[in-house]
Amino acid sequence: MQKILTRWKNSKWVRNSFPFWLILPTIIALLIVQVYPAFYTIWLSFQERSPDGWEFVGAKNFERLFAMSIFNESIGHTIIYLVGYVGLTLIIGFFIAFLLSKKIKFSGGYITLLFIPWVIAQIIVGLVFRLLVVPNYGLLSGIFGNPELFPPDGLSVLTAVRPAPWFGDFPFPPSPAMIFLILASTWRALPFVMLLLLAAIQTIPTQVIESSRIDGANAWQRIRYIMLPLIMPTLVVAIFSLTLSGINGVGMVFSLTGGGPGTNTQVLSYLLYTIGWGQLRFGRAAALALLMAAINWVLITGTMRITKTGTGEEDVR
Amino acid sequence: MSDKKFLSALARKRIGKFLTHFTLIIITIMALFPILTTLLISFKEQADITRNPPVIFPCDTETDDFDPSACRWVVQGYERVLAPKPSETSITGIEFTGNMVRTYLPNTILYATIASLLVVLLAGTSGYAFSRFKFRGNKALMSGILAITGVPLLTNVLALYQMGVKIRKSGLPFDDRFFIIFIYVGFFLPLSVWIAKGFFDAIPKELEEAALIDGCSPLGALMRVVMPLAAPGLGAVFLLTFVNVWNEFIAGYLLITKNENKTAMFGIYDFISVNLINLQVVAAVCILIALPIVVLFLFTRRTFLSAMVEGAVKG
Repeated sequence: MQKILTRWKNSKWVRNSFPFWLILPTIIALLIVQVYPAFYTIWLSFQERSPDGWEFVGAKNFERLFAMSIFNESIGHTIIYLVGYVGLTLIIGFFIAFLLSKKIKFSGGYITLLFIPWVIAQIIVGLVFRLLVVPNYGLLSGIFGNPELFPPDGLSVLTAVRPAPWFGDFPFPPSPAMIFLILASTWRALPFVMLLLLAAIQTIPTQVIESSRIDGANAWQRIRYIMLPLIMPTLVVAIFSLTLSGINGVGMVFSLTGGGPGTNTQVLSYLLYTIGWGQLRFGRAAALALLMAAINWVLITGTMRITKTGTGEEDVR
Repeated sequence: MSDKKFLSALARKRIGKFLTHFTLIIITIMALFPILTTLLISFKEQADITRNPPVIFPCDTETDDFDPSACRWVVQGYERVLAPKPSETSITGIEFTGNMVRTYLPNTILYATIASLLVVLLAGTSGYAFSRFKFRGNKALMSGILAITGVPLLTNVLALYQMGVKIRKSGLPFDDRFFIIFIYVGFFLPLSVWIAKGFFDAIPKELEEAALIDGCSPLGALMRVVMPLAAPGLGAVFLLTFVNVWNEFIAGYLLITKNENKTAMFGIYDFISVNLINLQVVAAVCILIALPIVVLFLFTRRTFLSAMVEGAVKG
C-alpha cells in the first residue's frame, strides 16, 4: 500500500497537475461569488418582474433608468463627490507623505497614529462625523450655526439644501452635506494614499534628490520636476483606486447623510440601493449596476496597464 | 564655506526639522480629533449632550468654565448598549443582554474568523501555485484574478441577493451564515491571492528545490519548508481579511435575512434610527465596535502595513 501511494505521489501526472489542484478551489469560489453574479446582473438588466417570474423587456430598463431625473442628478453628485474626494485626498496625502519622507525621528509613530482612521469602518466614520454636526447638539454645529461666520443665519450642515445650480441642471455648487461627506471620505482614505505615495517617494534614489539640491533646485522645483514625474505611475494608481472606492463606497452615505437632505447627497451607489431595495425594481437596478461595473472595469484595466508597463514590476519578478 | 554661513545652514536645517514635526503633530491631532470627540461624547450624560451651545468637556460649573473636579463623566451610553443585568450563572455576576453583544458582535467575530481562515488557506495554496509553477494560462489567470479584484461587492450584491432568494425558494438547505461567509471568502480572495503571491515570490526557490531533491513530495515541500517561511505573510492576509470582513456593511445588511444572523455593522446602523437624540449611545456603540480593530491594528501594525503596501501596489 505504502509503495503504491509513493508511486502515485511521484507519478508524472500528479506532479504536473499539482498546481492545478492548488488553484482549483480558488477558481471555483471566484466563479460562484464573482463571475456568475456578474453574468446574472447582465441577464437581470433585461428582465422585469412579472406575476410569474421574470419577463424579458429588452433595453427598457436602461431607457427608464436614463429617463429618471434622479439618475442624471446622481451622476452630477457622483462627479462632484469624486472630484472633491480624489483631489483632496491626493493633495493632502502627498503633502503628508512628503513630510514623512524626510529623515525625521518617530516617523513610524506618526504613520501608526495617522493610519488609525483607515481601519475604522465606513459606517462608523459616517457616524463619528455625524456626531460632530448633528443639528443643535453637535460640537461643530455651534460654529457652523454662528450667523456671524455663516451669514445670513448660520448653517446646519446636514439639513441645508444646496443653492440654485450655476450650470443648468448640474448640481453645482454642492450642498454643505456633500462637502462634509467629501471631508469624511477624505479623512478615512488619507492614510492609504499617504502610505502608497510614501512608498513611492522612498524608492526615488537619494542621489537624484541630492544632485538636484546641489544644482540649486528649490523645494518646489524638486517636487514639481523630480518627485512628481518619478512617482507618476503610483499617483495614477492612487487616482484609480480612490475613484473605484469612491464610486462603490456606500456605507458612509448610509450613516452620515442617508442621501439627504432631500436627494442632495444621492450618489450612484446609494441610488442603486434605493432603486433595488427601496423601490424593489431589480431589473432597473441591475441596469445601473451594469453601468457602474463597466466604469469599474475600465478603471481596473487602466490600473493594470499602468502597473505593468509603468513600473515594470511584473517582469522583474 | 565661512563659519557664519555654515551655522546658518545648520540652523535652517534645525528649523526645517522643527517645522516638519510641528506640522505632522498638528495633522495627527486633526486626524484623531473626530475619534477623540466621539470618545468624549460616549462618556457624557444626556443633559450635557442636549445642551445648546454644545460643550466639549462636561466640566463647567456655574462659576467656572473648566473645573476638572466637577466633571460629569458617566457610562450611561455604554450601559444602554451592553444592557448589563445581574446574573447568577456568569462568572463576573453580570450578564450583558444588549443585542449588540449578545447577537451581532459574536456573529461578526464568527464570520470574520472563519472567512479569514478560509481566505488564508485558499490564497496560500493558489498564491503558492502562481508563484512557483509555470503552467499554461498562469499569467492569464493571474490577470483575471486581478481584474476581479476591483469588481465591487456593491454591484454583485444585487445578483447575490437574487441567488439567495432563489435558493431559499427552491427548498434547498439554506443558511444565512454559510452564504455570507462564502460571499466574504469569494469577495476578499482575489486581492489576498495577489498579496500571498508577492510574499511567496520573496522566498528563495532553492530552499524547496533542495527539499525536493532530498526526496520530499511537492506537498511536503510546501507544508514543511515554504509554509513556515510564508507564515508572516499569510498572517498579514488573515489580518487584512479580518478587518475587511469586520468593517463590511452592505452585503451583511442586504444579504442576511434573519435578524439573529446579522452583523455588528448592521447593529450600529440600527442604533441610529432608535437613538436619534441619545448621542452618547451612538458614540458608545461606535467606540465599542471600532476599538477591537484599532487595538488589533496597533499590535500588528508592521504586518498590517506590509500587506497594505503589497496589495496597494497591485491595485
